[in-house]
Amino acid sequence: METMKPDMMPQGCDAKFGVLPACAPLATSWVPPQGMNPPMYAPEEALTRGTLFPGLDLPFMNMVNKSNPYAGTPLGELMALTFMAKELQLYLDTHPDDQDAFKALKDTLALKREGAKRYVKLYGPLRLEDMEDSASYDWLRGPWPWEYCERMGK
Amino acid sequence: MFSYVKSLEYPVKIKNTNPALAKFIISQYGGPDGEMSASLRYLSQRYSMPTPQLRGLLTDIGVEELGHFELVAAIIHQLTRDMTPEEVKKAGFETYFVDHTAGIYPQFASGTPWTAATIGVKGDTITDLTEDMGAEQKARTTYDNILRLSDDPDVNNVIKFLREREVVHFQRFGEALGKTLEMLDQKNVYYMNPSFDK
Repeated sequence: METMKPDMMPQGCDAKFGVLPACAPLATSWVPPQGMNPPMYAPEEALTRGTLFPGLDLPFMNMVNKSNPYAGTPLGELMALTFMAKELQLYLDTHPDDQDAFKALKDTLALKREGAKRYVKLYGPLRLEDMEDSASYDWLRGPWPWEYCERMGK
Repeated sequence: MFSYVKSLEYPVKIKNTNPALAKFIISQYGGPDGEMSASLRYLSQRYSMPTPQLRGLLTDIGVEELGHFELVAAIIHQLTRDMTPEEVKKAGFETYFVDHTAGIYPQFASGTPWTAATIGVKGDTITDLTEDMGAEQKARTTYDNILRLSDDPDVNNVIKFLREREVVHFQRFGEALGKTLEMLDQKNVYYMNPSFDK
């Protein structure tokens, strides 16, 4: 588990907790907001666990994924970066002033662009735009994403 | 507009054919708390939201849900694509098979076709966000129940991912609701409907 960042958390609260207002209007629902600059998993662990944030990682009956089927592959790496960017996007939608998270998003997007370039060269386009430098219409090359399984190529 | 990225959000790689699991996991495709309902709920609610932040959050979560709609389909497809009529009978999958063969059809586990009656678009900011929080909890419970019933580790690997996304989305909707409440008259947050009364 990541260490908490004491400057961002009120005393006695770690990353699993948030702070509610001292007074709030009756007859409304309140969810404690996640603190700014929260601890984060590395991209691959984030994808495997389903969240970038240890504070929000709340598994059912301790059923936790140890790995995912593409961990350590070029596609797995790209999926992890894509997921990290998505998770940061949702976080920034409710924490638009968190500069550290915005920096993390920009760094992730740069890595993702590089990873996607390498992947596309090897395996073909992921998006229409990826065919800008293709020699032929290779959108239909390779399996569609839902087709992957152990029996592929049998 | 939307454009397709030729990759799932999370890897789905299922070794064993098992229509018995597809029989109830289909509910997260087109069931009452499934991913089709989630995406259409958020993508339809966003138009009347009063702030750019709320419109953005509903768009971004709604788009992620479309990816989950595809993930659940990938699970069902890989569980059923190679099934034999004998396996169909053994699994008690005949009632689905007779209508859809190995196609993917949005329906409840009970067989009811997907219906817009499973989603709410009330056009009221507090009401819609509160519905969304409830919807995330209902989907989480459904994934909990799937984890109780399924013993296939390849399937459960994806289900655990999907379940955790419900927890994160609940948090974001809750934060968005909190920010909405702060904008309103603190002595009476129900004085008007910020989605309608400008």
